[in-house]
Amino acid sequence: MSARFGDQLIAVLPRLRRFARGLSGSIADADDLVQAACERALARQHQFQEGTRFDSWMFRIVQTIWIDQVRSRDVRKEDGDIAEDRLGSDEPARRVEARLALDEVRRALDRLPPDQRMALLLVTVEGLSYKEAAEVVQVPVGTIMSRLARARIALQLQLEAGNGGRRSTKNAAAQ
Amino acid sequence: MQQRSDDRLVAYLDGELEVAQRREVEAWLDADPAARQRMAALAESAHLLHLVFAEAIHEPLPERLIAAARGETAPPQAGAQILPFRRRLGAQIAAPRRWRTGLPVAASLLGLLVGGGVAYLGVGKVALDGAAGKQAALEATAVNNLWLDNAAGYFKLVVNASDSPPVDIPATEDPREALQKISQSLPQEVRLPDLKPWGLSFRGARLVVEEGRPAAALIYTTDNKAIGSLGLIIGSSKQPDISPTFDRRQDVNLLYWRHQGRAYALVGQADIGYLWGIANDVAWQLDAV
Repeated sequence: MSARFGDQLIAVLPRLRRFARGLSGSIADADDLVQAACERALARQHQFQEGTRFDSWMFRIVQTIWIDQVRSRDVRKEDGDIAEDRLGSDEPARRVEARLALDEVRRALDRLPPDQRMALLLVTVEGLSYKEAAEVVQVPVGTIMSRLARARIALQLQLEAGNGGRRSTKNAAAQ
Repeated sequence: MQQRSDDRLVAYLDGELEVAQRREVEAWLDADPAARQRMAALAESAHLLHLVFAEAIHEPLPERLIAAARGETAPPQAGAQILPFRRRLGAQIAAPRRWRTGLPVAASLLGLLVGGGVAYLGVGKVALDGAAGKQAALEATAVNNLWLDNAAGYFKLVVNASDSPPVDIPATEDPREALQKISQSLPQEVRLPDLKPWGLSFRGARLVVEEGRPAAALIYTTDNKAIGSLGLIIGSSKQPDISPTFDRRQDVNLLYWRHQGRAYALVGQADIGYLWGIANDVAWQLDAV
């Protein structure tokens, strides 16, 4: 393995973890997913084309492994899984409320169909352009556009439908 | 029809529309309060989604993932146990070392940086075909290396200077003053990212040269030895966009990228995990991603 390849891989790890966390809905599953993606990338590093985006290549590997997992077993997490990971009993009430509001967003994300969730994470969280996201998912740009719109509308509707969601999500935004 | 208009609104928010389409949407928003309300709600939910994942990017990397990225784990096997998280990367980060190079060396490095004239950022990633392409790629890489050498050299000056980094415009109580002054010498206005969450304080700015044009080097310092001093170099660029790319000069780490005519480089001795987190913050604050 070239040191440069390893450096590139380490550089992109934080974003891969974030992407994987959004897909899997669990911190532990996300890290397992990223670890599997690293191992696959190293085994196939000869397939990476210099001059193309390394992060997009890695996102594609992560999403491929995740789709394989989704197909082979139901990996959907129970609601509140991450909240339990993160909530501390000594947090001030306002922070707890904000945290709960963000957990509501996370649950809304988990309820989206996998293809919409992927489009949302790649574009809205990771900042890829529609074209770049389409290359990662290997679908036409128009498909990404419509998946994204459906995902954004569904997310918004779910937040509006949540108990007191509007008030508490505003608190979260103010944190 | 509703789906189509939602597609438009979302694409507008994501900056994916052509100028004419943007104007169409803006005219629509001007005329339709309900559309404005829907767009505001969409923007808010996108912001919340960012908040949900904001912390993830700043977390120290588990050791097992760093080991996996370095190929230090066993190849995957069916049903294999994945190593548990043991300790955090932060424990591995060595305190920054200080250079002991003398002033003459520092002065020559400064000369290289300011007088270099030819300096390109991140041009080594352009895909080129054929012999001419290979030659151009080699030249681009060489020039890119020169720029990164210079950026690392300048950073060494900062570290050597310890409490008084070599800046053209020191930060005052109002750092915007320094930014305004240095922006007067630049083709584009420079904004100052707030890196206080990382414990980094803005110390001043220096005019440097990048791609033959003036650029700003913003200097930050911190008492946190795991991060140390940090330089953020921002310039204009005519090169194509590239995603953040890591490079290293001796014990200086560099993370550089280009976005929409701007070139950025973070230079420091912080571990790459920190650099990446800070780069994400910078990119988010400056709309540079």
